[in-house]
Amino acid sequence: MSSEPLLQVENLTTHFHTDEGTVRAVDGVSFDVSRGETVCLVGESGSGKSVTSESITRIVDIPPGEIVDGSVRFDGQELTEISEKELRKIRGKRIAHVFQNPQDALNPVYTVGTQIGEVMKIHGTEQDKAARRRRAVDLLDRVGIPDPAARVDNYPHEMSGGMKQRVVIAMALAAQPDLLIADEPTTALDVTIQAQILDLLAELQEEFGMSVLFVTHDLGVVAQIADRVVVMYAGKVMERGGVHDVFDNPGHPYTRALLACLPGEGDAETIGGELPSPLDPPEGCRFAARCPYAVEDCRVGDQPELVPVDGHADHTASCIFHQPDYDRSHIDREVDWESGAGTAAADGGVRGDGA
Amino acid sequence: MATQDSPGEAFENVDWDEVDAGGGGGLSGLLIAEVTAYVALLAAFAYDYFVLANESPTIGSWNVKDVEWLFALVLVLMFFHVVVPLVRNRRMTAYYWRQFRKNKVAIASLVYLTVLFFIGTLGPLVWAGPNSTIDFATAYAPPYFLGGDLASTDHFFGTDAQGRHLWHLIVYGMRVSFEIGLIATMLSITIGTVVGAVAAYFGGYVDEVLMRYVDIQQTFPVFILLVLLTYLYGASLLLIILLYGVFSWEGIGRLVRSEALQRREEAYVRAANAAGASRGWVIRRHIIPNVSGTVITAATLAIPTFILGEAALSFLGFGDPSTFSWGRTINAGRSDLDSAWWISTIPGLFLFFTVLAFNFVGDALSDAIDPRR
Repeated sequence: MSSEPLLQVENLTTHFHTDEGTVRAVDGVSFDVSRGETVCLVGESGSGKSVTSESITRIVDIPPGEIVDGSVRFDGQELTEISEKELRKIRGKRIAHVFQNPQDALNPVYTVGTQIGEVMKIHGTEQDKAARRRRAVDLLDRVGIPDPAARVDNYPHEMSGGMKQRVVIAMALAAQPDLLIADEPTTALDVTIQAQILDLLAELQEEFGMSVLFVTHDLGVVAQIADRVVVMYAGKVMERGGVHDVFDNPGHPYTRALLACLPGEGDAETIGGELPSPLDPPEGCRFAARCPYAVEDCRVGDQPELVPVDGHADHTASCIFHQPDYDRSHIDREVDWESGAGTAAADGGVRGDGA
Repeated sequence: MATQDSPGEAFENVDWDEVDAGGGGGLSGLLIAEVTAYVALLAAFAYDYFVLANESPTIGSWNVKDVEWLFALVLVLMFFHVVVPLVRNRRMTAYYWRQFRKNKVAIASLVYLTVLFFIGTLGPLVWAGPNSTIDFATAYAPPYFLGGDLASTDHFFGTDAQGRHLWHLIVYGMRVSFEIGLIATMLSITIGTVVGAVAAYFGGYVDEVLMRYVDIQQTFPVFILLVLLTYLYGASLLLIILLYGVFSWEGIGRLVRSEALQRREEAYVRAANAAGASRGWVIRRHIIPNVSGTVITAATLAIPTFILGEAALSFLGFGDPSTFSWGRTINAGRSDLDSAWWISTIPGLFLFFTVLAFNFVGDALSDAIDPRR
């Protein structure tokens, strides 16, 4: 066990400067990824999880984006301070990305073999053309493409969606990265292919000893692959912890709402209300406006600090009810998630209130 | 690792090759052949320029001129970046050919242009320069098929006012037309593609500055500049070609920019960024190859406008007096139109059909390459 995590993200803040104002897409996010570990960033659309993953290697569009604050330490190196040129040596080689839609992620004018070889060529890991081709065939084989020696000369349009995603994964693995950032890699695929790709990723992770940062909105996927989970909402981290802790004992009402919406798990279909405006986020907890447990204290000040849930130091939630002055049992009651804010708060339940 | 910091020149060249060839094996041999061709051309040019006296012929009786050197360079370029990739990517070529073949007029046009191209480039080796056939005894000879005292198979298409064989004038005009069309087009598509792709990919101030310059250039009257320069320094074919090439890429630049703006947002461009590719790499490897369909179509349609432009200049008397372009021959025969109509009419027909053929081929190409149209 290495003492320092492979990736340490601290107070990462990414803003987008738009005509309507500054969009605070990521607002002080912290988490870390250890070697060989799979961490899932979970949240609904617009929660800032993709921007977080793209801010790590600054592939987010700058401008209009800007990484305003925070630190990203990768293997002892501060990525927010190094030049674009230095960063390019890390992208693809040490931190690889897999994007959501495999249909578009491959350039239609090159064969898949050429595109897998491209990463090796960019990073100079394999200078010889024949060697690149051999490695491309080998990688295609490893990601489970049948007859790789023939497929290596195929153009993307000659492959199915699932195969293309395998090719994209092969491209990401080409330079043997330490960290693979997968941004919803299975969302555009049908369910059976999804399961195959997830199995493949787990297999490859073991084989290559990589860390994986997996961005998804699908808690079912999280349950299948994650070691640890980071739940995001409106640019803030709501809850962080080991996958079992978070699923068995969700500390934040938002996590519970997500679990309740999981088909086969809970009875809710939607969470009432909408994401707060990223241009002008509300005071207090970002989720307060949709939280059935929300009380007055939830709507003042900053987002609550991440505090341990039931005394577990590595399972934390950003909810005032885990703070010493509040009664945790308040958020353990059954609620109707679709009905929206404050509906369960009527009968109090806050110790400090009476004083 | 060291290679990352210092990508050598050769390495850069390899990339270019792959862009055009679209991958595949056996690159280095081709690269060597291409570099050898350039070096040989350069050496021949240097020999002609520095060693041989100004007016002495380069090969046989043919004194190769600057425009012809440039033309040779463009032909070598086209061979390695159009013909070779087409041959190597047989599958893609066959696909485009099947699409192209649907247009029968375009096929006929292509045949016509190919014949014209070979006669134009190789003809001057067979037929002597028009001035060498000056013979006032046979002036104004009508074409052979019209009959008459002077008609002869020796000058099948007749002769002009100085007795120059009209066929020789036409053959030399073909070469001039192809020189203008290909060199000027090559210049304008190169500049236009690079400017358009760079503007689109970099965006922001770069885009703003480049596109405002395009606006300025578009309002700039190249024709008047040409007339002025001709008036001041005398006409030269090289000057005309360079001015046309360097001052007429705005349209292609805009076209490429709008196309590249879409390509820039494609996931594979993002993926390339995420894989550590530099900006130059992304533009060369991912943006330009994906706008090439637009560029090829635009280029084919640009060729006839350049040919017509030069013909118009020559017709007005601003052409290069040492070259026999079709425009010049048409102009020369103008005053004899009622007595010897063939002098203007026959080169005029060639000009007309050539321009028409390029347009047909361009239309068919755009249909074949871009199925949306």
